[in-house]
Amino acid sequence: MSFIHPLALLGLVAATIPALLHLLQRRIPPEIDFPPVRYLSVAERESARRLKLRHLLLLILRTALIVTIVLAAARPLVPLRGGGAHQPTAAVIILDNSPSSGAIVDGGSVLDRLRVLAHSSIARLTPADRVWLMLCDGVVRGGTREALMATIDSTRQGWQRLDLVQAVERAARIVDAQPLAGREVHVLSDLQRTALASGHARVPKDVRVLALAPGHEISNHGIAGVTVSEGAAIIELAGSSPDDGGPPAPVPVTIRIGAGRQGRGEVAARGLATSDRADGAAHAAVTVSLPAQSVTAGWWVGEAALEPDELRADDRRPFAWRVAPPARVTATAEAGPFAAAALSVLQEGKRVVPGRDVVISSGETPPPTGAHAIVQPPVDPALLGQANRAIAARGLPWRWTLLGTPGTITSSALPFLSDVPVARRYRLEGTGSQESGVGDVLATVNGEPWLVRSGDVVLLGSRLDTAWTALPAAPGFVPFIDALVNRIVVGEADVTALEGAPRVEFRTRGADTIGATVYGPDGRESDLTPASASLATDALGGAEVLDAEHFAAERFSAMRRADASGILLLLALLLAAAELGVATRTR
Amino acid sequence: MAQRLDLLDPAEVARLGGIEIVAQGVVEGYLAGVHRSPFRGFSVEFTEHRAYQAGDELRYLDWRILGRSDRLFVKQFEEETNLRAMILVDASRSMAWHGAPERLTKRAYADRLAAALALILLRQRDATGLVTFDDQVRQVIPARVKAGQWTRVVRGLLDTPDGQGTAAHAALQRLTALLTRRGLVVLLSDLLFDRELALTALRYLRHRGHQVVVFHLMDPAEVELSGPPEVRFRDPESTVSVVVRPRELARAYADTVRREVAAWRKACRRHGIGYHHVQTDMPFGLALRLLT
Repeated sequence: MSFIHPLALLGLVAATIPALLHLLQRRIPPEIDFPPVRYLSVAERESARRLKLRHLLLLILRTALIVTIVLAAARPLVPLRGGGAHQPTAAVIILDNSPSSGAIVDGGSVLDRLRVLAHSSIARLTPADRVWLMLCDGVVRGGTREALMATIDSTRQGWQRLDLVQAVERAARIVDAQPLAGREVHVLSDLQRTALASGHARVPKDVRVLALAPGHEISNHGIAGVTVSEGAAIIELAGSSPDDGGPPAPVPVTIRIGAGRQGRGEVAARGLATSDRADGAAHAAVTVSLPAQSVTAGWWVGEAALEPDELRADDRRPFAWRVAPPARVTATAEAGPFAAAALSVLQEGKRVVPGRDVVISSGETPPPTGAHAIVQPPVDPALLGQANRAIAARGLPWRWTLLGTPGTITSSALPFLSDVPVARRYRLEGTGSQESGVGDVLATVNGEPWLVRSGDVVLLGSRLDTAWTALPAAPGFVPFIDALVNRIVVGEADVTALEGAPRVEFRTRGADTIGATVYGPDGRESDLTPASASLATDALGGAEVLDAEHFAAERFSAMRRADASGILLLLALLLAAAELGVATRTR
Repeated sequence: MAQRLDLLDPAEVARLGGIEIVAQGVVEGYLAGVHRSPFRGFSVEFTEHRAYQAGDELRYLDWRILGRSDRLFVKQFEEETNLRAMILVDASRSMAWHGAPERLTKRAYADRLAAALALILLRQRDATGLVTFDDQVRQVIPARVKAGQWTRVVRGLLDTPDGQGTAAHAALQRLTALLTRRGLVVLLSDLLFDRELALTALRYLRHRGHQVVVFHLMDPAEVELSGPPEVRFRDPESTVSVVVRPRELARAYADTVRREVAAWRKACRRHGIGYHHVQTDMPFGLALRLLT
């Protein structure tokens, strides 16, 4: 409870007046002769208890009367629950319209339910409030009440995942900076467990976080991603499946190829995925062989689809891949026997053909101009300077320097290189003459670049020789050479995946298509497992997880205050009437 | 038409003069309002016979002598009175109190009432005496009917100072020894003494054949409690005092007084004792009329 005029509370000292008067009245009273004292004694003896009670009651009533009047003068503000106007409040309403909000629960979409609550929150605003709206895109929208209502009304299911922990932390910072009496963050979300996995939101203590309790868990399967490799599509499934005690149900997957690319025709294939139920979520992958015609050179677009379920947003996902023609490759004599052997294997598999589009060479000779080059360091360290000058002449911002310490290869771009030992290597350093970045480094040893690409040249820190590295003897050596000559050195961009409405966008340079971006929802959106209340409270900075009814009652209520002086004055009036009644009552 | 003093406010009447004047005025007014004496004698003592004379009341004829000797004789009594009355006036300190200056004290009221009563009785030739007492008997005027008796009674009243405590029981016991001949005993008192002990004495008088009448005198301020917000009331006859807030205790006090009066009335009625509650603002005539 707070007071508008707290100084008036000093008047509470006056509450001692009745007690003081009571004591002061104990002065020596005047004496009067009165013969029938015996009657008085009898009357007093018979009325003593009643009189004591009456005196006590009067003392209490008078003290309470003064206290009540003083409190009324101090204008106390008492917290209210439900109803009434609230104190000026800064609030951020997080309306989670991420893809999972499109799930149909109990005949209606989750988003519709959230929108109704957001709408009613906005309807409760007063002109003194400051409220922002945050959607799954993370953009904080301000504006008038009408504008916010219009935004909410027009909000549809988005395609971006909303990290609730970060969103709440941002929202809390925003409202905490506002000089208003109330500070609240309203989290209107399906409270997916996966949306709370990024730690704990730091929420200032004056900020109240109210989170809507999620509905019941529903089963869902979605396509988290599709990759194409070696004539087959690998479809990753995600989702949630309440444990009903039965065996995992097979999930039919349909692949369509060619859609959206004129003249490619359309083919379809079907696979059957079986999800597991590890930690309550369903994860699985299914590999579907693509039709033979789809391995002809060129860009291909496909779409994987599941049968419709409660969440449609993740039931379809496009994918793209490029089938390149075999690279025309030659290896110089200095490239070593292992490279030549690998090329011959690839030639047998028709992955490469002889030619000079790509040259595998060594630092003893300058990389050929007009061709893609894969350059190994020279055997003789004395030739290192000559080799560096040659690659510098090709405009490469890298050079070989001192021998590096042995180690193992680490590469995320080329997984088959990982953990391969390297016994001997030259450290690769950027010269700084041209811009070089981490993105050029394809593999490292002991954290130092070991395989870099710049333009149409790829440099190796070690020679492809078992005296330098165990790679030539490793199973991944031929795939490594395949990737180098067919993909890496020719600079073919990987197909990248981004969040967004499912679609494929090609990147072009002139008339050439140099890459593709596949959009789709984040795979974590498919897991509709709701977070527990304790998890949500913990992750969202002590959020109060409330059902819809309590959420509606509690919002804007933490700071809701009412001036209780009117009630106190009424109470004082009643006390005064009671005091008058008791004081004038003679028996 | 002249106002009847017996029906005026006692305090106003008292301002006309001393006890004698007041009593005479009251009695004049009172007798003017009645047709015959309210009292009838019964305590005469036979002494001798004398010959009947015309005009003698027939009720005093001795019918046995008439039967034996065929002569008319009337009975002659020792005193030619109709009644032997003794008026007892409480002169204790509590009687010298009035609740307001404009009112008579209970003692003053009792004196004037006693004087008026004595005058009435003496005028109809009833032997009348006076006893005043507080914690002991102060004045004893034997009951006589001779001339100057009323003056002696009045003098007895005037000569009795305000006393201290009231040992009514002891005084009444002594009175029983003094009142050997049956008659009327009128007690004028505020009865602020032990009821049972006083009743024992009064009962004894009654047992001795006396007609006993009690005038319970109270000041109106003793009936309805009032005063400052808080006050120490002190018993003038003792060291007892009590601090009260009159406004708080008024109802309870009034109840107590009512109960006390009722208890006196009930006890007196049970023993054949006349009881009259008289407040000192009651006109003397009305108080005297209570005896009829």
